Amino acid sequence: MSLHRFVRDIRSCRVSVRRSQIASTAAIYAMLTPTFGLLAVFSLVPFVWAFVTSFFDYEVGGESRFVGLANYTEYLHDPTLLSSFGNLLFLTAFGLAVVMTAPLIVAKLIFSLKSERARYLYRVLFLIPIVVPGVAGMMIWQGMIYNDTGLLNETLRLFGRDDLTRGWLSDPRTVLWAVVFMGFPFAGGINILIYYAGLAGISESIHEAAELDGARGLMKFFKIDVPLVMSQIKLLTILTVIGTVQGFEGMFILTKGGPGFRTMVPGLWMYMNAFSFQRMGYACAIGVILFLLILSLTVLNMRYFRSSEELTAEAI
Amino acid sequence: MRHRGGQILLHAILIGILSLTLAPFVFVINNSLRSNSEMNHAFFGLPKLGHDLFSGYRYAWEVLRPYTLNTILVCVVTGLGVVFVGSVSAYVFSRCRFKGKDSLFLAVLAFMMIPGVLTLVPSFLWVKQLGLLNSHWVLILPYMAGGQVFAIFLFKSFFDGLPGELFESAKMDGAGHFRLYWSVVLPLSKSVVAVVAIVNILGTWNNFLWPFITNSDAKYHVISSGLFLMNQSNVSSNYATMFAAYVLASIPLLILFLYATKPFMQGVTSGAFKA
Repeated sequence: MSLHRFVRDIRSCRVSVRRSQIASTAAIYAMLTPTFGLLAVFSLVPFVWAFVTSFFDYEVGGESRFVGLANYTEYLHDPTLLSSFGNLLFLTAFGLAVVMTAPLIVAKLIFSLKSERARYLYRVLFLIPIVVPGVAGMMIWQGMIYNDTGLLNETLRLFGRDDLTRGWLSDPRTVLWAVVFMGFPFAGGINILIYYAGLAGISESIHEAAELDGARGLMKFFKIDVPLVMSQIKLLTILTVIGTVQGFEGMFILTKGGPGFRTMVPGLWMYMNAFSFQRMGYACAIGVILFLLILSLTVLNMRYFRSSEELTAEAI
Repeated sequence: MRHRGGQILLHAILIGILSLTLAPFVFVINNSLRSNSEMNHAFFGLPKLGHDLFSGYRYAWEVLRPYTLNTILVCVVTGLGVVFVGSVSAYVFSRCRFKGKDSLFLAVLAFMMIPGVLTLVPSFLWVKQLGLLNSHWVLILPYMAGGQVFAIFLFKSFFDGLPGELFESAKMDGAGHFRLYWSVVLPLSKSVVAVVAIVNILGTWNNFLWPFITNSDAKYHVISSGLFLMNQSNVSSNYATMFAAYVLASIPLLILFLYATKPFMQGVTSGAFKA
């Protein structure tokens, strides 16, 4: 092989390497284009637009007028403000109490079974409710259980307590409780699986050590299981809080916020302002306020709520 | 709880809770076979044989059939799109080196922090301006944009865990990124693909508000919005039809679950879901 040819080969090789690197950088950005294109058009634009619109008085088809912070100051005096945030607080508290108890207890009960097959079977059976569309689930409770001739009233009549029957979703005294008790006993769905994964991740040796130290039954549950599934509790806490603050589908389907503003929540009021009263700017301002609320709650949760990894690290 | 009596007690408690959980659905199935007059006569009771048991189902299916087909179409296209776009991007973030990689990945994750309640109204105004209202795309494209983020996150953590030698040896054989992605990574990722697809289909199937406000044309209704409108219309005065509709609306996902229980349970139990 001549020296000349050798040099030429090396040179061409270098060129081709450089070319292929350029090509592959271009290819990399090309492969990321769908992701960033979709995010830019359908996530970033609405995100920015929400803030911008919140400073305008804007109706679809009408003229938009810059009003500064007027939408925000108006919301501070909104007639629904107190009741809707009060309801939000109640719904969040109830949701948290539920998500931290019922699925965890059921997961622990299933996990305590000896037979591997029974454990699998129960997990599958408790999963069944997720095949029912959420809207259908709510309307089933509305039509089957809370209805005038539904399960609750008919059961009361069966026991001769006609005096207690009522429209559970129209009586202002019962409506909030009726809404939160939808889905009782709160055991169906994937929360059980999430807790179960946490329980299954606890090594057998920790339980044995605890038993040697004399821990039994409930005490073992609270001292070993609960701290070690804290990561799962933390996840479900965040998801519940975020879901409750922005959720209003249930109220929209069941009560429309009524009777009066008894079941009004900020999200539903935002929806009504946008799509019933055509007040887009005002609706966006409520959306921004809810976003800021969610953001600060998430940050607080991240900062002050210890996951099990952090708890273990501290114990060591 | 290790002795025999304890085990029997556990079963008893679990069966009790399970019955309460499933009771409403049992009532729905039972009453979907009973006529209004039977219901009014006695709330508790089994369907009377001898009359046309399935009339509710026939009528409900007539109404629901186009909605079901729409939903399946949207679910399939969205699911395929999210799996494809998500896994390609996750592959790039996991296996390629390039400028600005970390900040781009963080940018993607940041989108998980944007709540739907903030963007609902402006998204509606935006797709209206784009002329997308009353089409399948007004559902598919935003669902893909939102769904891909969690998919990228799941795919990337899975790809990061694949052994490096796999890629080295394939590269030695002269495989480019496309070959690596298509014939090495994807075949190994079936379980993650299943989880991403199922989580996505569940989300799409259940989504109610967005299709309700963007597609007012009955031609494009999906199951959720269709059921709601059915419940608002005079159909709802016929209990059996409504209850039959709820049952019918649940069957497609039930079928999906018969096939996908295992990978789904494995995926959720793998420990990816914690904070």
